Amino acid sequence: MSSVQHPEQKSEQKSPFRRWLTGVAQSTDLGMLPVIAALIVIWAVFETLNANFLTPRNLSNLAAQIVVTGTLALAEIYIILLGMIDLSIGWNSVLAASVFSLATVFFHLPVGVGIVLGIALATGIGFLQGMVVSRIGVPSFVVTLGGGMIAEGLTLAILTPHGGSVPLADDFTTAIGTLNLDPLWSWVLSLLLFGGYAAVTLGGIRKRAASGHEGGFAATMRLVGVAIMLFGAVFMLNAYRGVPFLLMLFLIALFASAFVTKSTRFGRHLYAVGGNAEAARRAGISVKGIQLAVFIIAGFLVGLAGYLDAARLGVASASVGNGDIMLNAVAAAVIGGTSLFGGRGSVYGALFGALVIASVSNGMNLLGAASSVRFIVEGLILLAAITIDTILRLRRMRSGRA
Amino acid sequence: MSAAIAAEPVAAPLLEVRGLQKRYGAVVALRDVNFTVRRGEVTALLGDNGAGKSTTIKAIAGVAPIDEGDILLEGRPVSIRHPSEATALGIQTVYQDLALCDNLGICANLYLGRELVSSPTALGPHVLRDVDMELEARRVLKTLRINLPALDTPVASLSGGQRQAVAIARAVLWDSKLVIMDEPTAALGVAQTAEVLRLVRDLAEQGYGVILITHNMQNVFQVADNIAVLRLGATVMQARKSDVTPEQVVGAITGTLAIPGTGTAGAMA
Repeated sequence: MSSVQHPEQKSEQKSPFRRWLTGVAQSTDLGMLPVIAALIVIWAVFETLNANFLTPRNLSNLAAQIVVTGTLALAEIYIILLGMIDLSIGWNSVLAASVFSLATVFFHLPVGVGIVLGIALATGIGFLQGMVVSRIGVPSFVVTLGGGMIAEGLTLAILTPHGGSVPLADDFTTAIGTLNLDPLWSWVLSLLLFGGYAAVTLGGIRKRAASGHEGGFAATMRLVGVAIMLFGAVFMLNAYRGVPFLLMLFLIALFASAFVTKSTRFGRHLYAVGGNAEAARRAGISVKGIQLAVFIIAGFLVGLAGYLDAARLGVASASVGNGDIMLNAVAAAVIGGTSLFGGRGSVYGALFGALVIASVSNGMNLLGAASSVRFIVEGLILLAAITIDTILRLRRMRSGRA
Repeated sequence: MSAAIAAEPVAAPLLEVRGLQKRYGAVVALRDVNFTVRRGEVTALLGDNGAGKSTTIKAIAGVAPIDEGDILLEGRPVSIRHPSEATALGIQTVYQDLALCDNLGICANLYLGRELVSSPTALGPHVLRDVDMELEARRVLKTLRINLPALDTPVASLSGGQRQAVAIARAVLWDSKLVIMDEPTAALGVAQTAEVLRLVRDLAEQGYGVILITHNMQNVFQVADNIAVLRLGATVMQARKSDVTPEQVVGAITGTLAIPGTGTAGAMA
């Protein structure tokens, strides 16, 4: 035994649960726990006030409502993990949608070409913004503020001659926006997904245990939690019409992002750059390369979000950009536990943060509350989330660790 | 890394620097620096502020290449113009600010920038082999007798001594022969200082060459085998620890001992 050890870490005799609980109490990074707890409270409150809230039908609505906010929040989380911010995601997504509508409705191009054009444009904008941020070093706040304004101007230039909005009529987009996955397929897919996840997790635990090290209690608990959430969601959605295709596309983007950020070298480097760019540079990581790549990925997701939004609404409309989609996405990212100081958070925050935002507005609508009340409640939740983030950061600094 | 690099009786020392010179514009930072580091030994590099310790270290680490002079590694002259070249030669530096990512776990920090990955295709994705890294890291930490909490614990929640231990272990993991440490005990309490010095000593016992920069004379006499003193950019003393007294070393640092070449004594505060 060496003396380089905290006294409170001599907890070998405690049960795994007690040790986990102590870890949470002293933790400076709570992960998804606060937002899941908040979600449970919000759902319980709305269900008490209106028994229509937790019905399969309303939850299906909710599932479709989180898609655009969630996908944009996912893009924003990538950027925030770097310690930066992207204010252009709202208008860039609308621009992608309007380019898609222009290509398919007015130039009669195939749907696939329209989708590629829209997403490629958003990705290209991400690339340009990333170049300015990483090579020249202009703060992302300003670059994306300007980028968003340019995107707004371009969107208006495209859509205003057509009355500000272009209805979409192609079958593929309508299907994506309105149809659901067959219940049998959703069970098969979710079982396959969970099976793969469980195999990887259990494999890791077994490998550690085989070499005489303790298996992960936390990992097992997480596995159980994921099973409950995944199968619960599939069950509820199948009780109505099934899993919406929109949700499927968002979840594919989410799980792919989870893989990229948690399990690949690129993801590790992304967190390193967000946590301590100088340390990452000295370790031989190309900080500029990571920053550029992140802006490109975020641009791609923004384009995807634009298409999903157009598919959901059946129209490419400039008024969407005037709404609060960008601020909702930033709020969802922060509520989902992503630290604005960079390097801390998880892409799953996009899912849970978007669920919180959508649940509040959905629940308020059910109650017939005025949008004034809705904004106040959402604002309070956002403030609570950022306060938790700041308190955790203060805790780290007080112990000299930030 | 290999568990213990055997301290074979080779004639050439691990590192020898001769006549290092470096100037920044009109300022002469190094005039004539010479010293030798042997395998399995701790060489303390001492000197007052501005004596040239940091410049010397930066030269050997490739951060700020020298203008004149020779660096010989195991008897062969080498040119170190970039940090990556120093790394490739097996030279690792633990800087004072440690350069750790607080948000990442211990294991992630140990392997930062050279993660073990498996790629299903040539282009990627480069999937992290977390369990393999963790097991290898545990092995290395064990040979260094470093005791740390679970390896996925974020570095943010470690004490100063533990962070220093992570930074040192990280230097060793890079298949290194020579580890340079800049003031490793500067910000530590008594117990943690003792632990880090134990670690420094252990590194030497395992066959690494260690350059230790410190201001603390007590630390020097606790762990060093060799002492090199710089003053005004030149080596003014190079001796075995057993051949000198702390008073003589302090005299060499402050210049109250006669120093060949400068003519003056005690000019520097």
